[in-house]
Amino acid sequence: MRLNGAHVPAPVPALAVQGLRAGYGRGGDIVCGIDLAQTPETILAVIGPNGSGKSTFVKTLAGLVPARAGAIRITGTDVTERTPAQRAAAGLAYVPQEANVFRGMTVRENLKLATDFLHGRAGVCSAYEEKVLATFPEIVRREGVLAGNLSGGQRQMLAFACALLANPEVLLLDEPSAGLSPALVLEVMALVERVRAAGVTVLLVEQNVSAALAVADEAVVLVGGRIGRRAFARELAGADLGDLFLGRGS
Amino acid sequence: MLAQLLLNGLVTGLVLALPALALTLIFGILKFPNFAIGGMLTMGAYLAWVFNTLAGLPLLVATVLAAGSLALVAVLCDMAAFAHLRDRGAITLLVASIGLSFVLENICRFAFGNDARNFDIAVARPIRWQGLRVNHEQLVTVAAVLGCLALLYLLLRLTPLGRAMRAMADNASLAAVRGIDQTRVTRITWVIIGVLTALAGVLVGLDRAIDPLLGWNYQINMFAAAILGGLGSVLGAVVGALIIGVVEEVATLVLPINYRQAIAFLAIVLLLLFRPHGLFGRRAIRK
Repeated sequence: MRLNGAHVPAPVPALAVQGLRAGYGRGGDIVCGIDLAQTPETILAVIGPNGSGKSTFVKTLAGLVPARAGAIRITGTDVTERTPAQRAAAGLAYVPQEANVFRGMTVRENLKLATDFLHGRAGVCSAYEEKVLATFPEIVRREGVLAGNLSGGQRQMLAFACALLANPEVLLLDEPSAGLSPALVLEVMALVERVRAAGVTVLLVEQNVSAALAVADEAVVLVGGRIGRRAFARELAGADLGDLFLGRGS
Repeated sequence: MLAQLLLNGLVTGLVLALPALALTLIFGILKFPNFAIGGMLTMGAYLAWVFNTLAGLPLLVATVLAAGSLALVAVLCDMAAFAHLRDRGAITLLVASIGLSFVLENICRFAFGNDARNFDIAVARPIRWQGLRVNHEQLVTVAAVLGCLALLYLLLRLTPLGRAMRAMADNASLAAVRGIDQTRVTRITWVIIGVLTALAGVLVGLDRAIDPLLGWNYQINMFAAAILGGLGSVLGAVVGALIIGVVEEVATLVLPINYRQAIAFLAIVLLLLFRPHGLFGRRAIRK
């Protein structure tokens, strides 16, 4: 990269994926060779039709589905062979689409668990925890409530708070708007923007394409387990979904 | 008469609470019904008997050594058998646990024969209180089990390890991505299972003779207790054990004593028919 004639080294991608293949059991590949690199402190939306492999892709990044081939790097560190817990310690946080809190435990216990096993991680300290929790006053007020008794929106906020308490480099979000009212979707997306502004790189898997493109910097369209198209989010914002998902006009 | 039966039933229930807790912890965290608990209980009793009678150590020291040894055996069993089958589903693990139970039981049979054994302890007169007859073994049982339950409660509620165990029971995938080392938590769970079943083996051995079928004879009762409370529920296992213990004892007023175990069978049948998730268990949702 050159800036005003001086050579500036390209930043190490916060998340880099090379030739990633993954699937379940003895079945065929669901993720069929994905390559991507994400610039730090950006939001990358992953969109695509149902069954395109979005959730499997993000679960493979989190370590819940083993990679059959390829490599995953977090800020330059290869985490492909690491367990989900080791990836969390390396700076990867993941908020699943459903069951994203421990429903049988209180809000306080959920928040404690977020850092119980990550105290060795840089930046995870009580001052940082206080700073994060100050942005979730509604959750903190319900500390004694069972997480399973929270509303869908409150559960989503709790899941975000838990993920952020780990001071992640990269935050993986699997359809955070699923099941929420339009007003709550706006609230969640505003929170995603705030997370990015705080210096976290966000990979946002979304079925709600317009909401995702409204906050993302870039987007990739996943079709049949492969990246069909990558573009700036604003370029895709007005595009027809059929064109995007079927690869017309790319 | 009834008060005496209630007292005996509560003590029987407290002894039953320990293996029922072990069963429910394994079911909650590793998601399979562990039939090896019976074999482990037998081995725990024999280990304590070896340290107490053959090595000549006081029963308290023998119990501690037996608990440590059985914890090691439990971890080794997990590493040798269950860890390799974890991805094969609950039925495979259940069958493996039945096999393991036979192995543990027959190791005891091979090493010590079929003769009944007893701990080397002083015989003491029972205490008479308010018309009730309370023997020393019952007092030891109440103190040991209540102490054990209190420690387990504190561990599960107040420590990061306890939170990790409950988190794994609640949602194992989420626990993994929150940085919880599942292998470590699983091993520590087996250590706790080993300690609980060894202590149960000693307490059962105080109440009756030690023989290779000691744990097997308790198997139905511990399953009935855990299912009654709701498999996976710690509180449920304790309450279920107390209910089974009391009902079994009180039932001897109307049933011949030989039919006592039928109560546990009946409890399982009725529960599976009318309340399969037990008193405190979560209702399973089939999609």
